[in-house]
Amino acid sequence: MCVSAAAGVCSSSVEKKIYVELNETVPCVRLLNATHQIGCQSSMSGDTGVLHVLESESDLDWILSSGPHPPYIVIMETAFFNRSVMMRMKSSSRVAGVAVIVSKTGLADNFSPHTTCPNQNTGVYSASYGSDLANCNVTVWNPLGNGLSYEDFAFPVFALKDENQTQVIRKCYEDHNLRVNGSTPQYPLCAMQLFSHMHAVTDTVTCMRRTDLQNRFSINPEVLCDPLSDFNVWTSTRPLNSSAKGHAANESVVLAATRLDGRSFFWEQAPAAEGTVSGIVTLLAAIQALSPVTQEAPPPRNIFFTFFQGEAFDYIGSSKMVYDMEKNDFVIDLNNVHSMLEIGQVGLRSGQSLWMHSDPVSRKNDSVNEEVLDLMRRMQSAAAGLNVSLGHPLFTQPLPPSSLQRFLRARPIPGLVLADHQTLFNNRYYESMYDDAENLNVTYPPDLNPDEQLVYETDAAKSLAEVATLVARSLYLQAGGEEKSLSNITADPKIVSHVTNTHTRTLGVAVLLLSLLVTYFISSKAELLFSSACETPTTAY
Amino acid sequence: MNLERMPNEEKLSLCRRYYLGGFAFLPFLWLVNVLWFFKEAFLKPAYTEQPQIKSYIKKSAMGLILWVAVLTTWITIFQHFRARWGEVGDYLSFTIPLGTA
Repeated sequence: MCVSAAAGVCSSSVEKKIYVELNETVPCVRLLNATHQIGCQSSMSGDTGVLHVLESESDLDWILSSGPHPPYIVIMETAFFNRSVMMRMKSSSRVAGVAVIVSKTGLADNFSPHTTCPNQNTGVYSASYGSDLANCNVTVWNPLGNGLSYEDFAFPVFALKDENQTQVIRKCYEDHNLRVNGSTPQYPLCAMQLFSHMHAVTDTVTCMRRTDLQNRFSINPEVLCDPLSDFNVWTSTRPLNSSAKGHAANESVVLAATRLDGRSFFWEQAPAAEGTVSGIVTLLAAIQALSPVTQEAPPPRNIFFTFFQGEAFDYIGSSKMVYDMEKNDFVIDLNNVHSMLEIGQVGLRSGQSLWMHSDPVSRKNDSVNEEVLDLMRRMQSAAAGLNVSLGHPLFTQPLPPSSLQRFLRARPIPGLVLADHQTLFNNRYYESMYDDAENLNVTYPPDLNPDEQLVYETDAAKSLAEVATLVARSLYLQAGGEEKSLSNITADPKIVSHVTNTHTRTLGVAVLLLSLLVTYFISSKAELLFSSACETPTTAY
Repeated sequence: MNLERMPNEEKLSLCRRYYLGGFAFLPFLWLVNVLWFFKEAFLKPAYTEQPQIKSYIKKSAMGLILWVAVLTTWITIFQHFRARWGEVGDYLSFTIPLGTA
C-alpha cells in the first residue's frame, strides 16, 4: 500500500503514478458555535486507510473488528449512511475516514441529518415561556432526524458525486481488496487518502481569540475560521427611508417573512427544495402579485417583505433583525410591527390543506388573541375560490421552528406561520442533500429540453402559485386593503415555475451574516486523493 | 581550552566563573561545569585547589538537577493541560497547533 502523503494538486509525475485524484467530492466541514464543535476533521497530512466497500453487515464487522489491515477507509453505499453505522464508526479507532456514494438508488424513504427538534434552545419556548411546550415536548417537528449533522467526527467524511470515479474505486477494490472464498487479501492493497484538515477547534470563543492572537503577533497570520455571515434581504410595498434608523413615524407594518438558507451534512450541498425554496418562491410570487394593486389601491399599512439568511443556525438572520430593531439600528422598530405572517415549508401539501400555526402562549393575552383571530379570518376569506383549504392545528400546539419565534422573544407580536404540515414535517429529507426538486414532486413530461423545462408549469409550480395567491391576498387584507380588489391579485404560475426551476437547481448553502451576531465558524480546505496499489514493494509497512 | 595545560589557579577561577554564571538562569553553564570539571574534581590525584573545585561541581550538579526537575514538571503539565486551560493556555503559548484543541 502506498503511503506517500500527497498535498494539494498532484504535480509530480511520480504522484500521478501513485494517486488517482478524485474530483466532484464534497467534504463535511467543521462548524463551531459558542460552546461546541461539530462536523469532521482529518489529520494535517490527510488520513489514509485501506479501502473497504460497505455493502452488508459482514463488511461492517470486517471493518470494525476482524479485518487484518486497519485503519480502513469505508466507502459507503447510501443505504448505510445512517446514525447507527456512523456512530459505531465514530467510536472505533479502526476507521480512518468515510466516503459516501451519493446516489438515489438504495436511498431510504427518509433521511434527515438534522436534529429532531430544530433550534430548540434558541426559539421562544424555554423554561420561562411555555415551558411545557419547550424542547418539543408536545410536538416533535422532525422525528425522522438522526442528528448526524450535529455530531463531532474525528475522521473525514466525504461525499462522492461522480458516478464514473465511483466505478473506478469499486474496480480497484474488487481487484485487490476483495476477500476471495474467505481468504484475507494480502498487500499490495488499494487505499485511499482523504484530506480535509480543519483549522477551527473547540468553539467560537477559542477561535476568535486565537485569530486575534494570530493577527496581532504573527508575521504571517493563519486563517483559523470564517464567520457565518451574509445578508438578510428586505423590501416593502411603500418605500422606507433606509438611512433613517429607529422608530419610523406613522408606520404600521405587516411583516411577511421566510427563510433564505438551507444546510445538509456536507458542505454546500443543500438544495433545500421543500425546506426553503418553496417559501422563497411563494413569497417572491406574492410580492409580484401584489405589485400592481399596491400601486393602484395602496392599503393603509405598509407590507414589509423579508428573507432571513442563516435560520438553520439558531436563527442568525431573524435574531439579527430583532436585535437591530431593539437597538434602533434598523429602518423600523418593533413598535412599528403590527403583525407577522411567515411562510414555512409549503411545497408538500397533502390534498389542498394548508395550516396556520400560532403561538398559544402569547394568545393567552386577549388583544393578541383577537389580532391573531382577525388574521386567520382574513386568510380564510382570502382563500375563497382558491384550491386551498386552511386549517388551524390544536390551540395548545406550539409554533414550529420559525423566525416568528425570535420576534416573539422580544414582543408578543400577533403572527402566523403558514405550513403544509399540521404536526410533524411533511418533509422527509429536511436539511439534507436529498431535499431536491424530486422531493417537491417537480416532474416534467419526458420530451422537454432544459430550456422548455425552465418555463414549463409543473404541478408543483401550480400548487405554489395557489399558496402565493393566498399569501398575497391575505397580506393585502391584513394591511387594510379592501375585499373588492382581491380578485386582481393572482400569482402567475409561469413566474413560480421559472423561479422554482432555477432555485432548485442552483440554491446552495452558505449561511452567513453581518458581523455582530456571529455564532458559528467554519474552516475549509479539502481535497480527496486516492492511491492505488503499488507494484514495487518499496512501500511503508 | 585544554585543562591539561592550565595552571590550577586558572582552573579554579574558571570553575568558579561557570558556577556563578549559572545563577543567571543559565543551567547549561552548570551542566557544562559538571561535565568539564568532573575528572578534575574527582578522578585526578589531589592538589590544593581540588576541594574547592569539588564543592563547586557538587553545587552546580545540585542546581542542575533542580532546574531539570522544575523544567520537566512544567513542560509536562503545560503539554498535558494547555488545551484545558482555554484562555490562559492560549496566552501562554507562542505557537498554537492548528486543528487540535
